[in-house]
Amino acid sequence: MNSSMKQVMVVGGGVSGLSAAVDLARLGIAVELVENSGSLGGHAAQLSCKATDHCVSCGACVVEEKIRQATGDANIRVHLNSSVVNNNSNDVNRRKRFDVTLKQDQEMQHIEVDAVLIASGFAPFHPANKPYGYGRFENVMTTLELDLMLRKSGAVKRPSDAAFPRNMAFIQCVGSRDSSLGHLWCSKICCGAALRMASCIQNRQPGMKSTFFYIDIQNFGKNFQTDYADMHRHILIRSIPADVLKTADDRLKLSYFDPDTQAYQESIFDMVILSVGLTPSVSTRNLAAMLNIDMYGFAYARKTPIPLPAGVFAAGAALEPMSIAESVLSAGKAASDIFHYMKTS
Amino acid sequence: MTTNEPISMNLLNQDLFKNWPFDQDHCLTCALCSSSCPISGIDGFDPRKIIRMVSMGLQSELVESRWPWICTMCGKCEHVCPMGIHIPDMMRAIRSLRDRDKVPGILHKGLDAALKTGNNLGLPKEDFVFILEDVADEIRQEPGFEGFAASVDKQGANIMTTIHNKLVNTHTEDLKHWWKIFYAAGEDWTVPSENWEGTNWGMFTGDDPAMKLMSGRIAENMVRLNAKNLLWPE
Repeated sequence: MNSSMKQVMVVGGGVSGLSAAVDLARLGIAVELVENSGSLGGHAAQLSCKATDHCVSCGACVVEEKIRQATGDANIRVHLNSSVVNNNSNDVNRRKRFDVTLKQDQEMQHIEVDAVLIASGFAPFHPANKPYGYGRFENVMTTLELDLMLRKSGAVKRPSDAAFPRNMAFIQCVGSRDSSLGHLWCSKICCGAALRMASCIQNRQPGMKSTFFYIDIQNFGKNFQTDYADMHRHILIRSIPADVLKTADDRLKLSYFDPDTQAYQESIFDMVILSVGLTPSVSTRNLAAMLNIDMYGFAYARKTPIPLPAGVFAAGAALEPMSIAESVLSAGKAASDIFHYMKTS
Repeated sequence: MTTNEPISMNLLNQDLFKNWPFDQDHCLTCALCSSSCPISGIDGFDPRKIIRMVSMGLQSELVESRWPWICTMCGKCEHVCPMGIHIPDMMRAIRSLRDRDKVPGILHKGLDAALKTGNNLGLPKEDFVFILEDVADEIRQEPGFEGFAASVDKQGANIMTTIHNKLVNTHTEDLKHWWKIFYAAGEDWTVPSENWEGTNWGMFTGDDPAMKLMSGRIAENMVRLNAKNLLWPE
């Protein structure tokens, strides 16, 4: 890193921030990579590989490679446990500069940069207020919690008694497509992620039955054919359950309207997994406010791209729900846009 | 629906109910309403089908359908609906479209009686008061309640209660429980001798003027008896 280099602050050390940082560094731009937690990788670093007998291109392994590249790059300076608390932008010799105040623990520091990239990701929806007993019944978990369990231990066991589940229910669209929450968007990644997760568990724990409660399966991406071919492994019920109750023998009873019999139905499961939606993170909201960006749910609730001020860029799931692969692409596009902005400004 | 014939979409008037502020066109058919409904599946009922019929403007099918009338209007569907659709309000609006003489018998006759006499049974004032006194008599037979008295038309009471007509018809035993609680708690309460009906079948039949009249009578009783609080246990 030398003083003649152009400088960019990348806010967010998840997969999109890391990708953009690596791409920018490669283009000869100095990067200040700011991460508010104590480690790099973001949500992606907590996901488990979903391979069955073959790779399903879930992208969970991508982030580790990105961390290796970013931490080994002399053009990238990493600030952990840090958050942006203030920004003053001004024009110096017709060149826009951002004077950013970073807070690390209780220490404040000023860093001047030529551009800012918002890569502050998403926050998973917290489902406590939905009628699924989350937070009350131990064996009701979110998809992200299940991912972390699989990643850490290599197996899925019931939190209440460490038994292997014989059957699992997956409830889709929890916190997405929900006007009562102001979340009108489809979170896009949950159907594919949950289906891949269920197939992966079945491979590791043969005999585990998985049932999906869904509105419609929204599965995007190049891997559609593979995922589609795997559908027969699961019981698919086009209905969202309304209640989850605990039985006397510590299982979970779901009640739902069965579309086949056109009747009210109850089924019992060992675990219930909530496919929670993606929402704009607090960091994204704060940054948008600080940078005077019109912020109605950031991009989540909008159809058209956000008009960003000169020198401000955005990438990844801070913009809208995105998979790991899409976040990498989005970061690459942002790095390219920043490079061109630097050349012309 | 009475027919299995395919519906010709271009013959439908989809603007028919668009002024109903119930957001039915936002339905994603996710089935949370159907999954939570206590009567889904009965007579083929599925709340989503009603919502779709409204969006398509199937007026005659809705008016003739039995489904809006077997709905209990408990409101659980609305509570769980992620798209904020006011399903019970919609059911009421559909009920309001039916000719009054085709409203299911007990509701039609009961409301008719209530509008004329002040209660769904058409029970005269003296019979009503007699029944209350009779129940009070029975309460006084129980140990600890020797001093109990029914309180009718008392001025300035802390609580005025309405009465569900079944409590002075087939379920008089059910009056005793809360009256005994009042007595034990030393509550200052009363019941109006006229227009005491708490069950508002104007609400259930989608009859707004009748609902307003019935509610207005309760408000008039509050003013007449100078009661401080209303207990409307419906």
